[in-house]
Amino acid sequence: MKIILPILLVAVTAVLIVLAFFGAGQAHGTVGIAAGSAVYGLTPKPATPQQALTNLLSDVQRRNWDRAFDDVSKSSTVTEQAFIEDWTGSNGSLRSFSSLEAFDSRPLHATNDDAQMRVRLHWTTPVGPIEDVRDIRLVREGDIWKAVWPKVVIPNVPAQVIPVTYLRWDLVSGGASDQWGSGNVDAPRVRIISMNAVDSADGAVVMGEVVNEDTIPAFVNVNATLVDGGGNAIDDESSFDKIDHVLLPKQVTPYRIDFPNINLTNVKNVRMDVKATLVPASADPVIGVMNQKIEADPQGKSVLHGELLNQSGQTVNISHVIVSFYDNNAKVVWVADGYVDRALLPQSSEPFAVEIPHSVAGRVQNFHVVVDQFTLGKS
Amino acid sequence: MQRHLFMSALCVAICAAVCAAQDIRVPDSATAGAEATISAGGSGKATFYLVGPGVANKSDVALGEPIQLHANDLRNSGTYLAIVCSDSCHSAAFYVSAAKAASVTFLVHPSRVPVAQSDAVSGVAIPFDQYRNLVLAPLTVNFQMTAANASLFARPVRTRDGVAWFRTASGRSAGAVQITASIDDVSARRALQQVASEPCNLRIDGKRVSNGILVQTLPVHDCAGNVVPDGTIVTFSASEAQGKSTVDAPIKQGVAKAQIDASGNTVISAASGVVLGNELRIGAK
Amino acid sequence: MRPVTQCASHVAACVFVALVLGANGYAADATVQVQLDSKNAAPRSVESLTERSIVRDYRFAWTSMAQALELNTLDPLEGPFAGEAKEVLRQAVTSQQHSNLTREYANQSHRLEAVFYAPEGDVMELHDTAEYQLQVRDGGKVIHDEHVVMHYIVLMTPAADRWVVRQLQAVPQF
Repeated sequence: MKIILPILLVAVTAVLIVLAFFGAGQAHGTVGIAAGSAVYGLTPKPATPQQALTNLLSDVQRRNWDRAFDDVSKSSTVTEQAFIEDWTGSNGSLRSFSSLEAFDSRPLHATNDDAQMRVRLHWTTPVGPIEDVRDIRLVREGDIWKAVWPKVVIPNVPAQVIPVTYLRWDLVSGGASDQWGSGNVDAPRVRIISMNAVDSADGAVVMGEVVNEDTIPAFVNVNATLVDGGGNAIDDESSFDKIDHVLLPKQVTPYRIDFPNINLTNVKNVRMDVKATLVPASADPVIGVMNQKIEADPQGKSVLHGELLNQSGQTVNISHVIVSFYDNNAKVVWVADGYVDRALLPQSSEPFAVEIPHSVAGRVQNFHVVVDQFTLGKS
Repeated sequence: MQRHLFMSALCVAICAAVCAAQDIRVPDSATAGAEATISAGGSGKATFYLVGPGVANKSDVALGEPIQLHANDLRNSGTYLAIVCSDSCHSAAFYVSAAKAASVTFLVHPSRVPVAQSDAVSGVAIPFDQYRNLVLAPLTVNFQMTAANASLFARPVRTRDGVAWFRTASGRSAGAVQITASIDDVSARRALQQVASEPCNLRIDGKRVSNGILVQTLPVHDCAGNVVPDGTIVTFSASEAQGKSTVDAPIKQGVAKAQIDASGNTVISAASGVVLGNELRIGAK
Repeated sequence: MRPVTQCASHVAACVFVALVLGANGYAADATVQVQLDSKNAAPRSVESLTERSIVRDYRFAWTSMAQALELNTLDPLEGPFAGEAKEVLRQAVTSQQHSNLTREYANQSHRLEAVFYAPEGDVMELHDTAEYQLQVRDGGKVIHDEHVVMHYIVLMTPAADRWVVRQLQAVPQF
């Protein structure tokens, strides 16, 4: 009797392990898509392109870099160091603070020796979940498949001295004593220059642009309250990160305020409120947005591509691209944003891509891109 | 009848004596920070209370002798209650007015103002005495606005209910401006910054260089000729067949510059805030 | 009466007394009547939202002042007062604590008239014709009890989330 219970427990545990192993990696949702999650300890032989890709990405999830690099074909021109850096990020980029949570892959085409797989990577990042889509080529080597990894180009920035002559604003607080009227500095003057409220698939959206009309930098936030016919507030939300918060003098930023699960049918008025406060800031770094173009991506979605060029001498760790899209009446019809997960090294560029919803893509005639940036160690 | 008369007279005498015993004489007028005297008729010991703004004192006094009120107890302007209690309590109220103006609270808005704007600058002056009591007696406040020792505005204004105010246009030149409010030998000074207005006639020039196009603005002024402050953002946009490029460049010493990657026929424009500049066409490399 | 029942009845009595005292606190607020007439305010006219804020915050100021002077505590003065008004009231409370005196302002009614509103909205001057029952006590003994009509010059300024009273100065007449 005493021995039966332990035996029973071991048996049940073994069954559960086997079930978990074979249960994981099974397709769920759409047929033909292999989903992946980390299952430690048991790695099936990469006898198919799907299995090879799953093994590779599982090793990446576990940060088992030696095994992950073993899943890469020797015909690849990438070094192990570059391969690891491609996944882990560097220079304090957004990727270096992110982790691969899950992935989905589907085959694009396959022959006996060569296959192309499209994988959707789900990253957990400090700025929220981010999805990345990559096409990966796999080749058969003997009886197993391996991924062919493209050469990773790391910008080679030559040593140089770049003087910084751009303006910087510092904020000096007044003394502690309350001498009425003696020491006030007015808050920056900012103005909402456009506002458009629309319904979207996820709810109501209020968007537009705001300008800093003052001669000093402003930290800006835009709030909106939806009001019904009786004058009662239905909901109020903030622009959160769909805005470039620090505006230099005469700078314009788009903003977007989302009201999830709310329809504009009952909304009779939108009350806008823009708050601006004094903040220290610098006009450096200057980031150029080059070669902006709207194209269809391999999945058929409209995407605005471009490159961010860091024209300064400091590394920009995290870049945030915010885009306002206009119709042929110069009205803001959508505001989209995206983060670049690689750091912008001095005098070098990185690509960015921002998706345009299908419902809006046909009406877009023009666009304006602003770049918000975060540099480690700076306020 | 005589007995009635006697009793009535006795009652009146007693009442008069009681009233006289508690007759409190307070000052007709008192000024903040000045001593005053109160008298309470009668004889014997009593308790004296002074209740007013910022004060609630209690002391033992002798009826019939003057009660000295200290200057420090009467420093706040307002209504005071003097209460004397022996067998019963009696009270009298008196008013302490503010002393002579010794300081001016001066509120000026805004701290930064675009040049040449009408009614852009306003100020409010409120006089106080040395004890921070509001001086309600009408006074003349002289408001003056100067820039680089040149007077831009001067106006005397009489206070009404203790307040004087002004409103005026900003000057035409950018720079620091001093505004003063003075009452006799008492004054307060504030500084405000006049800044250039919106850029006017934003013009750009550019040329092709080895690695793209170098574009810059001509010196950016407002319509009054003031140079727009450094740090003001100018957005350069370049459109060519391959796409569009933009750079947000800050003005330095009146000029904004940017380098744009473009190899084909390119159209370049500039904007600052909501002000648009000219277009520039540069041929292919 | 069994001990448990006796204890429960004591607790119930305590709760009842607390509720009554608490209700009196709210009732004290409700007895402070404030009316505002802003049609003569100049040079800036008073916005309707500002009118409501002024009435609300002035009522709160007088309720707090009454509480501070009745209970001889400084805490109620922190929120609704600033500058000289706060300093004078703090001096009054401290002086009362020293002399064992208290003041009670009951059945307050305030008729406010806005006479000045700064162009940038950063200061407002009001005239308050106030009526209340003023009672002064020495310990538990009432030494003065009078229905008064007073005139106050009030300066209010906007703070982070409310209007505060910066100057509260009694005058013989307006």
